[in-house]
Amino acid sequence: MANKEINRRDFLQMSGMLGLGIAGASTLLSSCSPKQKPLREAGTYYIPELPDKAIDGKEIKVGVIGCGGRGSGAVKNVFAAADNVKIVALGDTFADRLEKLRANIKENYGQEIPDENCFVGFDSYKNVIDAGVDYVICTAPPVFRPDHFKYATEKGVHSFLEKPIAVDPKGYRTVMATARQAKAKNLVVVCGTQRHHQRPYVQAFEKISQGMIGEITGGNVYWNQGMLWYKNREKGWSDMEWMIRDWVNWKWLSGDHIVEQHVHNIDVFLWMSGLKVAKATGFGARHRRITGDQYDMFSIDFECENGVHFHSMCRQIDGCSNMVAEEVFGTKGSWNSRDHEIKDLQGNVIWKYDKEAEEALFEQHNPYVLEHVDAINHIRKGEGLDEATDCAVSCLAGIMGRESAYTGNTVTWDEMSQSDLDYMPAELKIGPMDMSDYVLKTPGTAK
Amino acid sequence: MKTSSKTHFLALLAGIVAGVSLMIVFNTAWTRSSSNESCMSCHAHPESDASWKQSYHYNNGSGTMTECAACHLPPKGTVKYAAAKAKIGAKDIWAYVTKDLESIDWDSKGELEHAQTIVYNESCVACHVNLFPEGITDDGITAHLYYEDNVEKLDLQCISCHLDAGHYNPNYKHGTLKDAPKLSGVIYEKAAEVTEFRNFTETVPGSTAAISMIAVPGGEFYIGSPEDEPFRKADEGPRKMVKVSPFFMGEVEVTWNQFWAFYSETMSEGRTPPSVIYANNTREDIDAVSGPTPPFGIPDQGWGMGDRPAITMTHYAAETFCQWLSLKTGRHYRLPTEAEWEYAARGGTDTPYFFEGNPKKFSEKGFLKGIFKPDTTGIDGYVVYALNSSNRSQEPSEVKANPFGLKNMLGNVLEYCSDYYAEDAYANLDEGELDPKGPSEGEEYVVRGGLYNSDASDLRCAARSCTNHEDWLKTDPQNPKSIWWYSDMKGIGFRVVCDVPENIDIK
Repeated sequence: MANKEINRRDFLQMSGMLGLGIAGASTLLSSCSPKQKPLREAGTYYIPELPDKAIDGKEIKVGVIGCGGRGSGAVKNVFAAADNVKIVALGDTFADRLEKLRANIKENYGQEIPDENCFVGFDSYKNVIDAGVDYVICTAPPVFRPDHFKYATEKGVHSFLEKPIAVDPKGYRTVMATARQAKAKNLVVVCGTQRHHQRPYVQAFEKISQGMIGEITGGNVYWNQGMLWYKNREKGWSDMEWMIRDWVNWKWLSGDHIVEQHVHNIDVFLWMSGLKVAKATGFGARHRRITGDQYDMFSIDFECENGVHFHSMCRQIDGCSNMVAEEVFGTKGSWNSRDHEIKDLQGNVIWKYDKEAEEALFEQHNPYVLEHVDAINHIRKGEGLDEATDCAVSCLAGIMGRESAYTGNTVTWDEMSQSDLDYMPAELKIGPMDMSDYVLKTPGTAK
Repeated sequence: MKTSSKTHFLALLAGIVAGVSLMIVFNTAWTRSSSNESCMSCHAHPESDASWKQSYHYNNGSGTMTECAACHLPPKGTVKYAAAKAKIGAKDIWAYVTKDLESIDWDSKGELEHAQTIVYNESCVACHVNLFPEGITDDGITAHLYYEDNVEKLDLQCISCHLDAGHYNPNYKHGTLKDAPKLSGVIYEKAAEVTEFRNFTETVPGSTAAISMIAVPGGEFYIGSPEDEPFRKADEGPRKMVKVSPFFMGEVEVTWNQFWAFYSETMSEGRTPPSVIYANNTREDIDAVSGPTPPFGIPDQGWGMGDRPAITMTHYAAETFCQWLSLKTGRHYRLPTEAEWEYAARGGTDTPYFFEGNPKKFSEKGFLKGIFKPDTTGIDGYVVYALNSSNRSQEPSEVKANPFGLKNMLGNVLEYCSDYYAEDAYANLDEGELDPKGPSEGEEYVVRGGLYNSDASDLRCAARSCTNHEDWLKTDPQNPKSIWWYSDMKGIGFRVVCDVPENIDIK
C-alpha cells in the first residue's frame, strides 16, 4: 500500500508541475502571436533556408544536358551558389551549342572539359549522367525532361530540372513516378520554378501559411509580355533540326508558352493556396507568331477541387500592355507579387516585404542562384529534397489550360492525368519530319 | 519510521518486479498470438497456407516473407490493431469451436467481396510506402495515380487490383486480355432457318457460336407481387395484368463461347473513344458493329469460360452483342423488356418462384435464421444462389429448367432488361396493356433474377433491381471509363430475345 501513497504524492506533484507548465507555455505562446487560424499547420510545409552561399563540402561534379541559353545560365548560377563545384560533362543535340558553352566555361571559370566527356546527339544525356556526375543540370527542351530525370534518378544522380518538367500527360506521369523513386533514394531534385527560392515569395508563402489572408477564395495570374525569340530556318537544316533550334515556338518541344513560361505563375497560385486544379475552361489564339505551331495568347478559367476559381492569362505579343504577376485572395485579405505585400479586406497594407532590411542581411538575392544554393546544401548534408512532384502538378494544370484552349472544351484533371496524349515523336533523329503533325490547333468544330 | 519506509521501498520494488514480469508475459503472449504458427494452428486451411507460400508475399526475389497478421490485421501499434485482434480472435475461436471446418468454403473467402473484410488496406500501404517503384510501367503509374487521387473518395482497396498478392491464384491474372480465347468447333456457314414458331438453335455464320432459342408463347400475366408476398418490396407494385406477344428467348444466359465469338469479330482497338464507337454503331447503313475494347484484366474472374454465363459486360456491350447478332443472322435480336423477362421467368406460374415453396422457408433472413439454417430442399436443383454456388456462377447444366424450358432465369447471374429502372414503373402501366415498356428516360437499367450470392428472398420472380453504373466502375483507372466492361461488378450477364419474324404464322 505504501508505494501507492508515494506514487500518488509524486503523481500529484508531477501533475501540478505539468499543469503549471502547460498553462505557462500557452500564455507565452498566445501572448506573442495574434489570434490567427493557420492555413497550414506549422511543420507541414517547406520553407527553404536561403543563405548567400552553400556550405563548404566535398566537390560536386556537375553535368549539363542542354547547352543553350538556360543551360549556360544555370552553369553561371551554380558557380555563384557554391565553391568546389566542377563541371565535368556536357551534352547537347548540336555540337556548336556544346562548344560554345565549353569555351565559356574555360574562359570564365578556368575549367576544361575533356573531349571524352562532351557528348552530342539525342542520347547524349545518358553519357553525361554516366560520366560520374553527382548533380545534373537538365536544360534541354522541355519535352525531353521526363526521360532525362528518369535516367538520372535510376543512376542515383541529383538533378536540377528546368521548368516545365512535363509537356504532356505521359511526361507528367513519368515525372510523378520518378519523383517517388528519387525520394526513396534520398536524392535532391530542384526545379526551375525559381520563385520558390525568391526571398519575397518565400516570406509571403510563410505569411499565407500562417493564415494572414485566411482561407483562399480565388486569384489571378499573368504573364503578358512581348514577342519571344524565334529562328528562321537556315539552309541545310532538316525539319527536326529547325524545330529544335527554334524550340520555344513548337508545341511538342516547349508545351506552348502557357506551359513553357506561364507555368511559373500557375505554380505560384497552387503553391500559395495549396489547392489542386480540377477543371480548366479556356481559349487562345495566334495572331502574330512567325514560326512554329503555337498560340500567342491564352486565357483560362481554372476551377479547383473545392470550387475556388483562379484566372490565368498569358500573351507574347509586342506593343501590348504587359504584366507578370500573381494575386491570391482570401477571406481576410489578399496578397500580390507586384508589390510583394498583403492587404486586409479594407485595402490597408498589413505586411510588406522589407527589401532594405533583407539587403542588409543578405548579399545574394538572385533566385536562380539561391535554388542551387538550396540544392547543394541538401546534397552536402545528405538530405533529400523533392520539388518535382509539385512542379509536375503545376505543369499538368498548364497542360489542361492548353488542351482546353486547343479544343475549345472544358477538360478535367482526371481526364488529363490519365490521357494518352504523348508529344514525343515515335523516332528521334535529325532529318525530315511529317510536318502535317505540326500545325495550328483549331478549337471547336464550326467552320 | 525507518523500518516502515524500508518496507515501503521493498513493497514498491516487488510491485515493479511483478508489473514488469506480467508485462513480459503478456507481451510475449500478445506477440506470439500474432505469429504465423499461431494463426495456422487454428486456421485449418492448408490450401491457403500453400497459396500464400506461392504468392509474392512469400515467394519473391527479395527473399522476405510477409506474415499472416501483416495483412489480416491493421498496422501494429495502432489502437485499431488491438481492437481488431481481440475481435477477430474471439470470432475465430467461436468458429473453431462451433463450426465444421471441413464445410468452410475457403475458395470463396478469397473472392474480393469477402477478402476486403479481412485484409486491411492501411496495412498494405504501411509496408508499400512507394507505389511508384523503379521499373513501373506507364499503365501502372496511371493506375496508382488514380488510386492516390481517389482512394478516399471511392474507398479504393489495393486488393481491388492485386487480389492475388497474398494468396497465389493461377486463374487470377492482373493483366490485359490481348485476344479472345481461341474457340474450337464447327464454324457455321449460315444462320438457322426458322419457318415455324418452335424452339430452334441459332447458328451464327462465320463463327462457332450456336444459341438455343426457346419459343415463348404469348399470354397475359400479373406483373409484380401481391402485397402479402413475403419479402415484397414497394417497387414490385402495384400489381397489374399485362399482355405479352410471343417471342423467342435464349434458353440460357449468353455464354462465354457466344460472347467471345462476338468479341473476336468486332473488337475495337484499346481506348477507342466512346464517341467513335457510338457514331459507328448508330449509322443507318451500318454493315459491321464496333465491339468491345479489350477488358482491363481477365473478365471470367478465373471461374472458367465455355458454357458459363459471360459476365461483367456493360448494358451497352450487351446491346451491341444483340446488334451484331441481328446483323449476322438477319433476325432481330434484342434484350428482353422487363415485362417479357418476368413473364418468361414465371413460366405460367403466379407463385413467388416458378417452383413450389415459400420464400420464408428458403431465406436466410428472419427470426432465428442465424442459428437454424434454412431448408434448401425444393430450391436447390432450380437455382444457383448463396447457399449452393460457392460464391461464383455455375454452368447451366447444374439446374433444371422452368415450365417454358428456360434455365437460370432466377439466380446464377443478374440479367439486363432493355427498360430503364423506375421504382414506380408499374404505376404507369395500363391494366391489360400489350407489350408494355418501362420509362422513356432514366439513369440506370433494370436487372433481374438475382445472382449466385443472392438470398432466396431476392430470387423471387417479382424481385427487381437495377444497375449501379458509377459504383460498378469505381476502380476502372481509365478515363473515360470503359463503356464495355465493369471493373467492380462480377455477377452481371444477359440473355437475348428474338422477335418472331413476320413471315411466321403463330398458331
